[in-house]
Amino acid sequence: MVNLFKRMRKLKTILDVRVGTGAAIFPTLASANKEFPAVTRLHLTYAQKIYGGHQGARHFWRRCLPRLKYHNPGVKMTVRQTEEQEGPAALTIYFAERVGSTANAIAGKNQITDKHAPAPEASERTAVVDVKNLTWEEIWSRVQASTGAEEVPATAEDQAEQKKLQAISEKAVKDRERIQAMRQAKRDQERMLAEARGEVEKLKTM
Amino acid sequence: MSSYGAALPSAARGILSSCRLPLREKSMSPAFSVFQQIRGVKNNPQAKGKGKKKEAKTERKGPREFQQKHLKDMEQFALCDAMRYIRAMEVGREPTVSKYEVHIRMRTRKDGPVIRNMIRFPHAVQTESRICVICPPGSKQAKDAIAAGAILVGEDEVFEAVKAGKIEFDRCLAHPDSLPALNKAALGRILGPRGLMPSVKTGTVVEDVASRVEDLRGGTVYRERDAVIRLPIGQMGFSPEQLRDNLRTTIESIKKDAAGLNDRINKEIYEVVLSSTHGSGFSLNGEFRTDNSPETSALTGV
Repeated sequence: MVNLFKRMRKLKTILDVRVGTGAAIFPTLASANKEFPAVTRLHLTYAQKIYGGHQGARHFWRRCLPRLKYHNPGVKMTVRQTEEQEGPAALTIYFAERVGSTANAIAGKNQITDKHAPAPEASERTAVVDVKNLTWEEIWSRVQASTGAEEVPATAEDQAEQKKLQAISEKAVKDRERIQAMRQAKRDQERMLAEARGEVEKLKTM
Repeated sequence: MSSYGAALPSAARGILSSCRLPLREKSMSPAFSVFQQIRGVKNNPQAKGKGKKKEAKTERKGPREFQQKHLKDMEQFALCDAMRYIRAMEVGREPTVSKYEVHIRMRTRKDGPVIRNMIRFPHAVQTESRICVICPPGSKQAKDAIAAGAILVGEDEVFEAVKAGKIEFDRCLAHPDSLPALNKAALGRILGPRGLMPSVKTGTVVEDVASRVEDLRGGTVYRERDAVIRLPIGQMGFSPEQLRDNLRTTIESIKKDAAGLNDRINKEIYEVVLSSTHGSGFSLNGEFRTDNSPETSALTGV
């Protein structure tokens, strides 16, 4: 059985799912306005390898999408990893009814097409953001600007916990060095003893 | 520090060591050198005592039961909250690949019998299991088995395929009529290590092959290993209600299994942990949802 405290410590990583970049709530049908209509779906397509500007998209998936999904459980999010390195790296945002002017401006005139993205339903309009050669922070700021997502501030408890975890990980580095030094010293001594013993044996046989 | 052993001339030391030989082998570990062992045993009564203690320790057995700690320090979650986290961790994964898993920890003895059974879920966890049936070709059972969805049916053709190394199935059943032929073919060395060898004990030698095939296609086999039963219980797209139904069925069937064992054996469920293919494990507290959890419709689909 795994130690209970080890398990608890590991489970604290769920804090990462709640707090950080991308912890934001999209406008829902209730809170939507003309500029920022409700977001119904997200789809991300990028290629398998990172060269050709696909790195940011993958990092966006790994870092931001879990938090977005946690705070917007009803928004469907799909990711497609293709093998076409020359192909597009695109984030398709599906809006209900209409696309806001900011989203249109960010998507740009020469819209790229993402053939892997699922087709929008009759009531959905899409904005495709070209995410090639962008870092994940840039992708996130674009998504935030075009959807009008509201950041969820970390609660006081979460912040306290974050600090605690950080302190633990800092202490862990020191402890690791200390223990390593101790083990090395022990190993050295054992080696010395073994050598000394070997010499005694040699003397005996002589 | 000088000792008697070190002070003695080397010849005397040799005699001494020959006298001490049997004693030494019993009480001390062989890792020490000859020289040090003599010194330790002869002059240090504490060391003698230590050696005896060690012997006593090895005789004593460990705890009879699997150690299970108190859960009062464990943070526990309602089903919907756990699902919300797990869905966030699994975001963007292939929905057909990722599955919800459940780990049911039992309070049980280390040497007792283990639970081993199969269940059919109300909502099927899609698992493509390919089934092979060994029964006389052309018989009624063979036809039924094919109708029920077995992919490989027969006697000699199956044996030959297996001997040639072509094992293209995940489950293997046999009809009692073919058991002599099966034993004659001596496939135990090939199928045994893979857990595919049909035997009466595991319930894979049955009269009614067809219904068993149907069970296997929709069912999931589970068994207890080191006091934990692990099994997949749902696809990522399941709604909380579907998952709850599956979970309930699982727990009921495990309770029934535990009750069906010997009277003297006491097995009880101690913790239920929900996790997923890529997610972490969340200890469940038995509640369905809390006030903070999202609508159940939001926790459905991709």
